[in-house]
Amino acid sequence: MNRRTRANAEWLASRGRWLCSLIGWLASVSAASLTAQDAVPRYNREIRPLLAEHCFACHGPDAAQRQADLRLDDRAAALAAGALDPDDWSASELLARIESSDPELMMPPPEAQKPLQANDRQAIRRWVLAGAAYEQHWAYVPPVRPNLPAVVENQSQHPIDRLIDQSLAKQGLSPAPLAEPELLLRRLCLDLTGLPPTPGQIAAWREDHSPAAYARLVDDLLGSPHFGERMAPAWLDVVRYADTVGYHGDQNQNVFPYRDWVVESFNRNLPFDQFTLQQLAGDLLPNPTPADLTASCFNRLNMMTREGGAQPKEYLAKYSADRVRTVAGAWLGSTLGCAECHDHKYDPFQMKDFYRMAAYFADLRQWGVYQDYGYTPNPDLRGWSNDHPFPPEIQVEVPYLRQRLARLAQERERAALEAAGRLLATQREEVLGWLNATDRFLQTYPSGWQPLPPIPSGEFEFPAAGSLKLTAEKLDSVSFTIEPPGFAIQSLRLELLPHADGADSIHPNPDQRMNLTFSWELQGADGAKTPLKIHFADAAAKLPAYYNNAEQLGMGNTWRVPGRVPPGSSAVWALDEPLRLQPDQRLVITLKGTAARMLRWSASPLVPLDLRQPGEFGWGLAPVLDVPLLSSSSVVARQMALAISPAERQTLRSIEGSMRECRDGKAWVQVSQPMNQPLVTRVLPRGDWTNETGEVVAPGVPAFLNGGRSEPLSNSSGPKVAPAEAIETRLDLARWLVAPENPLTARVQVNRLWKHFFGAGLSAVLDDFGIQGQYPTHPDLLDWLAVEFRERAWDTKHIVRLIVTSQAYQRSSQPTAAARERDPKNLWLAHQNARRLEAEIVRDQALAAAGLLVVDVGGPPVFPYQPPGYYSQLQFPDRDYPEQRDDRRYRRSVYMHWQRTFLHPLLANFDAPPREECTGMRTEANTPLQALTLLNDPGFIEAATGLARIALATAESDRQRLERLFERVLSRRPMAAELDSLLAFLASQREHFQAHPEDAAKLPRPIPGLLPAPADPVELAAWVSVGRAVLNLHETITRY
Amino acid sequence: MSNNERPKDPQGAGMWQRDLRRRTFLRSAGLGFGSVALNLLLNKEAMAAPAAGDEGVLKELHFPPRAKRIIHLCMAGGPSQLESFDYKPRLKELDGQPFPESFTAGQQLAQLQNTPLKAFGPQAEFRKWGASGQEISELFPEIGGIADQICILRSLHTEQINHDPAHAFMNSGSIIKGRPSMGSWLLYGLGNATENLPGFVVMTSTSRCGGAQPISARQWSAGFLPSRFQGVQFQSRGAAVHYIGNPEGVCQSAQRQLIDEVNQLNRLANERYRDPELETRIAQYELAARMQTSIPELTDFSGETQETLDLYGVKQPGDGSFASNCLLARRLAERGVRMIQLYHRSWDHHGNLKSDMAIAARDVDRASAALVRDLQRLGMLDETIVIWGGEFGRTPMGQGNGRDHHILSMCAWVAGGGFRGGLTYGATDELGYRAVEDPVSVHDLHATLLRQFGVDHKRLTYRYQGRDFRLTDVSGEIVTEICQPS
Repeated sequence: MNRRTRANAEWLASRGRWLCSLIGWLASVSAASLTAQDAVPRYNREIRPLLAEHCFACHGPDAAQRQADLRLDDRAAALAAGALDPDDWSASELLARIESSDPELMMPPPEAQKPLQANDRQAIRRWVLAGAAYEQHWAYVPPVRPNLPAVVENQSQHPIDRLIDQSLAKQGLSPAPLAEPELLLRRLCLDLTGLPPTPGQIAAWREDHSPAAYARLVDDLLGSPHFGERMAPAWLDVVRYADTVGYHGDQNQNVFPYRDWVVESFNRNLPFDQFTLQQLAGDLLPNPTPADLTASCFNRLNMMTREGGAQPKEYLAKYSADRVRTVAGAWLGSTLGCAECHDHKYDPFQMKDFYRMAAYFADLRQWGVYQDYGYTPNPDLRGWSNDHPFPPEIQVEVPYLRQRLARLAQERERAALEAAGRLLATQREEVLGWLNATDRFLQTYPSGWQPLPPIPSGEFEFPAAGSLKLTAEKLDSVSFTIEPPGFAIQSLRLELLPHADGADSIHPNPDQRMNLTFSWELQGADGAKTPLKIHFADAAAKLPAYYNNAEQLGMGNTWRVPGRVPPGSSAVWALDEPLRLQPDQRLVITLKGTAARMLRWSASPLVPLDLRQPGEFGWGLAPVLDVPLLSSSSVVARQMALAISPAERQTLRSIEGSMRECRDGKAWVQVSQPMNQPLVTRVLPRGDWTNETGEVVAPGVPAFLNGGRSEPLSNSSGPKVAPAEAIETRLDLARWLVAPENPLTARVQVNRLWKHFFGAGLSAVLDDFGIQGQYPTHPDLLDWLAVEFRERAWDTKHIVRLIVTSQAYQRSSQPTAAARERDPKNLWLAHQNARRLEAEIVRDQALAAAGLLVVDVGGPPVFPYQPPGYYSQLQFPDRDYPEQRDDRRYRRSVYMHWQRTFLHPLLANFDAPPREECTGMRTEANTPLQALTLLNDPGFIEAATGLARIALATAESDRQRLERLFERVLSRRPMAAELDSLLAFLASQREHFQAHPEDAAKLPRPIPGLLPAPADPVELAAWVSVGRAVLNLHETITRY
Repeated sequence: MSNNERPKDPQGAGMWQRDLRRRTFLRSAGLGFGSVALNLLLNKEAMAAPAAGDEGVLKELHFPPRAKRIIHLCMAGGPSQLESFDYKPRLKELDGQPFPESFTAGQQLAQLQNTPLKAFGPQAEFRKWGASGQEISELFPEIGGIADQICILRSLHTEQINHDPAHAFMNSGSIIKGRPSMGSWLLYGLGNATENLPGFVVMTSTSRCGGAQPISARQWSAGFLPSRFQGVQFQSRGAAVHYIGNPEGVCQSAQRQLIDEVNQLNRLANERYRDPELETRIAQYELAARMQTSIPELTDFSGETQETLDLYGVKQPGDGSFASNCLLARRLAERGVRMIQLYHRSWDHHGNLKSDMAIAARDVDRASAALVRDLQRLGMLDETIVIWGGEFGRTPMGQGNGRDHHILSMCAWVAGGGFRGGLTYGATDELGYRAVEDPVSVHDLHATLLRQFGVDHKRLTYRYQGRDFRLTDVSGEIVTEICQPS
């Protein structure tokens, strides 16, 4: 340390003398070296990385670490300090120091252990001699479309290839040959849809894999609904989309319609500028559509808390910082988040830039703590619990749910008619009896309901037939005793009538809310009562009850009646099984805590299609019931089956339960909602939210990215919504992000797309385009693509098509010997890159190959198998993982429930991020946990079972079956050695399971909806083993 | 597992050449693989044998090694040195007074910046413990009981004042993402000494008191080193590792046949693709297979005596507590795991320091000491380093009734593995603000830890992006005074 200081002092003292003695020598060598070398090195490309690595630590932007008062990252400063000599560049002290061999003088100093290599020194020399031209950081200069290199004869004319082939030629590398056709097919299908090619696609491709056929295939895949599902996850990582709030209790949040919007946007090829505008400011667009508002959920994807004791202001600061990091990461590829507490260490972002960006979002309606606590009162959310939503939300149509509902309704019709057929065949007497009795009932009570004159326990009046009037102001408890009505009761109904003749409300105080709590008992002849089971209860007018942010379906024992419900509002209870009261039996209903006035009870031998619509049985007028009607009217068949057959009742109820879960095809989604009065945004000194001394800032963009102005340029695309003196809005920010002057957005997004198709970005660090990022390997290509993207109306599919139709994309991923030697990291793209499939695709591919994949698009999060007990540490509320065992367990992984604090282990093991933070790049690990997942997760055993059934479905030889199974997964036929190995393995497995038939019965997993297992369990188990082997291959989870 | 079942060291104490007898075929990289694979195909028997643990790159160690493994008890959140291992009576006298500006002028502060700085006296009493008379606060009586086994570092300091980067710095010597953590460096250099378990295992536990901060899985990342060197997190409750059990209807021998077939096919594929990831994949399937048998045995505490459970204060084995994790750490150490890292998330005491620190100390005191005692009882302490400390220290200035993050002074202690016991090394100024006597940087600590493994920190390097990286970046001096003489 002392020695160094001394040397620097000497330098300052003796600079002049020192330099003079060197000039002659330097001049003599420089001429020779210049002629021997190529063009002048560029600061950004060659020189800055060298200086950054070897010099900036002591002579860079960090004043605290700066030595000898010299900085080399700034040309003026380097000139002023004499490190560069404009009068005689060759006399620059910088050159003298780096070329010295005197340990007292040389730079970098020996103890730094960062010696410059000879060719690095020469590059710096050439650069200095040419005038030491500095450049602005490459990513901060708006991209300009570069000229494409001339077409080389016999080489691809594709713009991408011209640029890549040019740099390959410079490097003296030759491109690898194109990939084998089957491999290319699999690559393209996995990259564009995340699904392996179907056997049909493989067969067609074998017939014709001409360039024209390739182009057609690309169009087909780009048109597939699976394209959006494939492209969405990378964006969802960036915007940190998850189904839970992340902090503390990590409760569910209502955001899936946003995820569907992203998938749909890729499928519809929504231009990226619109994609940007709608997410940041969909709510500020004129006459926003539900889709615009759904997109604005983007602003609500930050982590949120409702922890007791959390400080609202602190969390508002966290939410704000989270948004700044995300917007900067997603669109600007910048680490603006570093400027929360101080000016950025490397990039020109100032602390003020951070808070100006934050100020754009100060208009969002939100709460720091989404609950109402004594110590942090929140009058807006009075009564809110851990189970409530995170407002503001809107309700939107969900096409998936509507389609599912329609499908289930058809399923119900089919099930009812089939049930009727079966029951007519097996229980004809009961069927005829039911027809007869029900027909008679409907002739008397065409509405389907028979009013019951109950015998009340308390003070009542009977102002009219069938109704009764409570006369007490409020009753703690009252019971109704109901006598046998003469039929088997399936449903009971309570109507709330006008509290007085001619009144238009059910209570003298129209705003009165009521909690009506019921219990149900069967009273025998001896007076003993046994509880009666209710299957389901519901009412059209009810206050919602929540559990973990989902509105509870139906109602429990309590009907929570909102104020101002229209008279005649009903609740209906469907009994667990039909109740035929014997003459000496009574039904006793106890009602607690009511302020109700006029009531009417009725009963029915039928069950409404939807308990919220008690008058709706599916027929217009009461039908004349006869046998032929049972095979033509599913609603009649349903009533009959529900009434007489417990087994059919169970089937129908299961379908109807699923229908209810479709929630009428609607869902809630968190949205942006502007407040008239935005919160005040201050610079927080050192990021300290408690410090209110900082300057108040208005919304604005980082000035250095915008020609020195913090207001977006006036010539930004589109009219400004705000008058000049008004404050900037999120819409202004969004427009600036996609303005032609913005140097970053287009580059960042095409770089992201490039990584999708090559495994690495043209600039390798996707989430940092700043000084600490990576200078692009192909800056011209990156800029060409960025300009193309912007000028072609931000057409994502166009860029994707460009990329995948390039030769570079289609090349083999096998490096040539020369490339392996000279470019082991494949920076120059002489060949494609092999890469492991993402977590989602690992699973989706297995399901698709096994014929299990359910290809529905969109909808609420799905819950396939997960190791039990994983959520045991989750509280507020306590919860279990609600595993789904129906078709939804085979849906694509992009729809899997994303629990931020406990991400599904399958996803986590294959490197999916928890999405707590904007994540630009996933890691690609290779671990024993991945092996354990593929080996032992029941989901993969099910996939192996599916493969085994497919293999066994046709009468073929083992060899043929193996080939088919193998091809379904890997899109190629096995090599001879692979086939031999698998045949031997199959034989060993047969032997094993013959010896262990009890295991053979257990291994294959039941698969709902598929045919029952083949007759021979040993054979099936042996083939399941084969399926497991193929699903576990490295090639299976790799896209070559 | 009882004392006499403990795996014995096959090497004599004086031997420090690495044992090269283990088979190396899976380690061969890239181009060499084809021929090796071919040999394997010709030799069915060799292929069926279990793969060896990863060999390290160091064929010869640089120094005689003292330690074979390390258990890092990471007190996540940054425990206060002033209530644990750095007794400052002068600070007590100044309690509530303005903190002398001569100490703090121009220094980095976190949440205390621009606020009046007041001295905040120690919130715990100190005592002298053991024959060595080391000063340790009464919050840690059990650690006091092993005072003669531990070496207290009072002059440790760091560079990072926020949790995540400070952890990154403590683990990898750098705050830049993508740098390998120490466990990964150890595996890379020395190899995995167990063939049945990951060589680098991480567990977490959380206190009920305030002060829990999240820990990112990046903290045990292998960074730019091959991913097989990364730490594997064990669940501290339930099945230690997800998917560890065979599917229904699959016995061990059937699973083994399947894995053999997968690896056989992967080797065939490697003739086609020559992909280094394929090689790793094969090794990972072998490791997975071994984990499937070793982990159930590992997490079966039924062989532990009640006495041992009481020693650690384990109420319910596998309950996710720090105590249970410590006992599991000993079991991992017995099985040769190279690095075991236990995070206890409870030490970020910006407020309520007095009560919350007492809770956090109760969480860890008994089990930390028990681990040292137990390793000593089993004769393993000499070759096992136990290190206890956080990612940074806390300010001698108060933040309300707590302390802010602090980088200029912090404490840790090390035991076993060639470290001297009963020693307090280094000192801070009279107010505990800054390490002034024999300061030890994080890089110094890393250099010294590597030295105990027989590794010269300057000579364990990995070339990445054109540069030879090492755990200690460009600095690091071995603190020889805390090492037992050779």
